[in-house]
Amino acid sequence: MEDSERVAVAAHLHVVLRRKTGRVTDTEWMACNQAYAQAMVAFALEHAREQQDEELARLARRLQDSWSGDKPRHVAPAETAQSDSSVTTKAAEILRTSARYIGGLR
Amino acid sequence: MVPLTAIDKADTGWVMVASALVLLMTLPGIALFYAGLVRRKNVVNTMVAVFAVACVVTLTWFGLGYSLAFTADSPWLGNLGRAWFASLHFDGRRSVISVSHLAPHLPEAAYALFQAAFAIITTSLIVGAVVERMRFAALLVFAALWSVVVYAPVAHWVWESGGWLNQLGALDFAGGAVVHVNAGVAALVCAFMMGRRRGYGTEPFEPHSLGWTAMGTALLLFGWFGFNAGSALSADGRAALAFVVTLVAASAAGLAWMGVEWLVRGAPTLLGLLSGMVGGLVAITPAAGFVQVGSAVWIGLIAGAVCFWGATWLKRRLGADDSLDVFGVHGVGGIAGSILTAVFADPLIAGTGATVLNQLIAVAAVAAYSAAATAGVLVLIRLLMPLRVDAVQEMEGLDISLHLERQH
Repeated sequence: MEDSERVAVAAHLHVVLRRKTGRVTDTEWMACNQAYAQAMVAFALEHAREQQDEELARLARRLQDSWSGDKPRHVAPAETAQSDSSVTTKAAEILRTSARYIGGLR
Repeated sequence: MVPLTAIDKADTGWVMVASALVLLMTLPGIALFYAGLVRRKNVVNTMVAVFAVACVVTLTWFGLGYSLAFTADSPWLGNLGRAWFASLHFDGRRSVISVSHLAPHLPEAAYALFQAAFAIITTSLIVGAVVERMRFAALLVFAALWSVVVYAPVAHWVWESGGWLNQLGALDFAGGAVVHVNAGVAALVCAFMMGRRRGYGTEPFEPHSLGWTAMGTALLLFGWFGFNAGSALSADGRAALAFVVTLVAASAAGLAWMGVEWLVRGAPTLLGLLSGMVGGLVAITPAAGFVQVGSAVWIGLIAGAVCFWGATWLKRRLGADDSLDVFGVHGVGGIAGSILTAVFADPLIAGTGATVLNQLIAVAAVAAYSAAATAGVLVLIRLLMPLRVDAVQEMEGLDISLHLERQH
């Protein structure tokens, strides 16, 4: 998977994790650090198991697969194409707003 | 003890209202301001910390702190003559009431309460540097010790007429050094000794709610009128002047920070505007009873820019994880305001001015003592218990791990 696609997947997972668990993650780090990404995948999958959350589980597996090079599972192609373009826009927005809070509030 | 007829009712009414306003700055001003800035998993803990510190310091103040700060024993420290809640006599049968030698026109209860509100907010400010990682029990012990060992002596030096900095001629109308430099330096020491939060510098620590922080700032501004104008201890023209310069300085500083941020970062932010306003309020605090309105504009403009520098460039150079920039805003703002008091003080107002040298001595003395004594308090606590929560608690969030509660 290309880097930009992995960023998009990471950003999507960031948004959903924040909404559903309150956990704030480092999107850029998830896309470029495998160990961190695996930790966030594990966190997301555990929460998805507890809450029976299909969406969270699907996104976590997509990020996991983005690192392993496998094709994403359980996702319809049409759905993926449409969601990825909006996710890319969302990813850019998130990176722009979240990055300023690394190392300080102001 | 004085006859009840010696009490000025108008001044007493104003000081009681001012006391309530200053208390409002902490509850819920600081509570909201800080809770809005931490991550969502630590919101409840942040609010509990501020409320609990207020409760602890209320008791330590009336138990010990007030007596050590505001009795005329030595230039360095008061005595225990007013300790253990012994200062608030009201004898309706004989129509006499106790008063402080520093405010003989007010019931001592009103004066002690006003000063209590200052002790409470000063100690509460430090919470902002240790949030998201300090053990709750350690924080409570810290608040109790710090309010007596650090705050009370400094208040004595500056505000007790026999205090050595007061005798030197250092001016501090409402607590630029006593409150803000003191708390700011203590916060920095705490941040260094506590260590950084996990993920600091690599993970984004997004504020839970800037809306809460805005509401907290509004309450701080509202309460600051009591903080500054109330320090006149009288409902008179000097209090009215202090009232006006407070708003003017806050406004100028908010715009200054916003303007600098706009230039440097390309966009004005809500947090920047709010932080600038607080920086201006901090800087005008020592000067509020000594400067004219035009000077307040300059103090605000300078403070806004200087506090921006303090909370950004200086913070990164110092390297400590002062979570909510207590030193950058309160410490740096307090230092700037104390020095600017000497620059802008008008002798026509209070019959006195100040020299920059005396102000620097006062700031340096307060900063040095605060740093050393705060470090000593932390070392002592560390002998009894860990200062930090463990890694799992920190990652899980202090709301659940320490309080079994969550903010929804």
